[in-house]
Amino acid sequence: MNLAGFCSLLPEALVIALMFVVFAADLFLPSIKKRLGGLTAWGLTAILACLLWQGFLAGGQKFGETFQGTFLCDPMALFFKALFILTGIIVVILAREFLKKADKNPGEFYLLILSALLGMLFLASANDFILLFVSVELVTVSFYVMTAYLKTDQRSVEAGIKYLILGALSSGMMLYGISFIYGHTGSTHFDAVRGALFGMTSAPPLLLLGILLLIAGLGFKAGAVPFQLWIPDVYEGAPIPVTAFLSVGSKMAGFAALLRICVSVIAPFDKKWALLMAVIAAMTLVYGNLGAIPQKNIKRFFGYSGIGHAGYLLTAIAAGGFSGARGVLFYLLSYAVTMLAAFLVVVYCSVHLESDDMSAYDGLSRRSPLLAGALFLSLLSLAGVPPLSGFFAKFLVLSSAVEKGLIWLAVLGALNVVISLYYYLTLVKRMYIHPPAGGVIAVPLSFQIPLYLLMLGIVGIGVVQGPFVRLAASAVSGFF
Amino acid sequence: MNEAFFFYLFSGLTLLAALYVVFTKNPTYAVLSLVAAMFSLAILFVLLHAYFIAVVHVLVYAGAILVLFLFVVMLLGVGREEPASKSQRLYRIFGGFVVVGFLLEIGLIIKAVSSSAQESPTILAGTIEAVGKLLFTEYFLPFEITSVLLLVGIVGAVVLSRREQMPAEGQYLPGKAAEGGRSKQV
Repeated sequence: MNLAGFCSLLPEALVIALMFVVFAADLFLPSIKKRLGGLTAWGLTAILACLLWQGFLAGGQKFGETFQGTFLCDPMALFFKALFILTGIIVVILAREFLKKADKNPGEFYLLILSALLGMLFLASANDFILLFVSVELVTVSFYVMTAYLKTDQRSVEAGIKYLILGALSSGMMLYGISFIYGHTGSTHFDAVRGALFGMTSAPPLLLLGILLLIAGLGFKAGAVPFQLWIPDVYEGAPIPVTAFLSVGSKMAGFAALLRICVSVIAPFDKKWALLMAVIAAMTLVYGNLGAIPQKNIKRFFGYSGIGHAGYLLTAIAAGGFSGARGVLFYLLSYAVTMLAAFLVVVYCSVHLESDDMSAYDGLSRRSPLLAGALFLSLLSLAGVPPLSGFFAKFLVLSSAVEKGLIWLAVLGALNVVISLYYYLTLVKRMYIHPPAGGVIAVPLSFQIPLYLLMLGIVGIGVVQGPFVRLAASAVSGFF
Repeated sequence: MNEAFFFYLFSGLTLLAALYVVFTKNPTYAVLSLVAAMFSLAILFVLLHAYFIAVVHVLVYAGAILVLFLFVVMLLGVGREEPASKSQRLYRIFGGFVVVGFLLEIGLIIKAVSSSAQESPTILAGTIEAVGKLLFTEYFLPFEITSVLLLVGIVGAVVLSRREQMPAEGQYLPGKAAEGGRSKQV
């Protein structure tokens, strides 16, 4: 392995190092134990800086392949990794606030966040089915434990068991699918599999079954209908920082893998999958957005609305090609920034109001203008109101669908914007019109700074889209 | 002494042990007999020159899974016999279908194999050396990440099975802490 190869592994190596620092500090250094959250957050920030430097050095070129091509460090992987680490930082901030109240030993919790993050980083760079599977497992096993972390809370344990059973089922399906693909192509390496697929004149049915099972397994992570059933219950039962991590990190990981497989493995069978993906996308859109309307619990509410957003992302994947892939990346960027801002508010409220019910948000605008304003802004962006980032993301996705002739899907997507606007605005109405349910809520600086930065992101990405679209385009241009 | 002798010896042993598993009334004997069946199966793998699979077979099945079976059998207690209920008769009919299907499948396989006389493979892909080489070259990175995965598994098992501090002493409810722990161990 040469120096460039090692450099391409740098963020992962640093995350592993940070894991061991946290582990050791938790065991041997009681003085640092209190400040583990801050240590982890700053450590991740340094790793993010290192990653951005790496991306700057790469300059849109493929940075390197190591381990005989199993690990690929291309611009798309770097793009996803930056989003994952950003998510990790915010989740650590959320976990810190949550653990302060929950009076739990935090060491393991940060360790599990880091290990899930590590799995996501490897997932973004995976260029081999075995590595893909191992990193997916690393992500989900960490999530099983985090979901059931509140052992004395019945709902947390129940959510953990549900997630474990369905997650094991989906992993099994995925592995079964991979075995079919391996059986037909003789390799687990993405490039070799794609080469074998190009050579085939007609697809054998068992190979198609394998790809179908693989997509089903990843669809579970991404929260696509009909693999979405776990989402509301698990989101509701899990500790709320874990809900945030699941709905941003785990979903992005699912889409990172799905996009990678669509553009770099099954690209030869493009046409066969477009219709299937389009149907899944349509079902996901309708299910998520209609399901969100009657929700009274804020976690379930974001669970369903997250399914709706997965529908838009699947629309872009169904459209495929350059514009579709660019749409997926830009949408994920906008989704991550917006959703993290929303969860900063939601977790803070949930911890300090000790309620996940939406009625707890009554009159939030008078209790804390900052929290209400940030949630308002992110809800508008999630609904897709111009000039915020969510609007342009939806525009890119729907225009890519129109470009590929999926007019009906684009129309359906546009209709769902209206539905989502309705249920997002009911929450806004609660915050601004209903009478306040309590006194003023003070927000500490450690929450204000990330909140302001993310709000700046929501507005900035929406108003000055150019550089970000170019960034997303350069991340995927290598594939087309 | 040739391979055929050992093949017939150990396939006969496997069959006998497997039949004993099915027909014995004592669950402990059934599990122990299953261990014997697994061992003789592993020897059949050795005769096929699949040494790695043979070793893994002994380690995983005889070493881990069947010990777990034995634990469960011991914990549940042995010696009780349940009378055949209605649902059990249903299972028997279902079992009959499975047997017929399985026999048909074996027939198909034998027909397919005998119609195309295949040479036994000359390149040994299943040796420990070959597997090790692959594991430390092509699949080195996933192999290393598996160690992180195991670490997470250990930490998770400890986190979830550790006893919570109960509010009042003497009021400890054994079901409550054990519930989260046991059900979560993968």
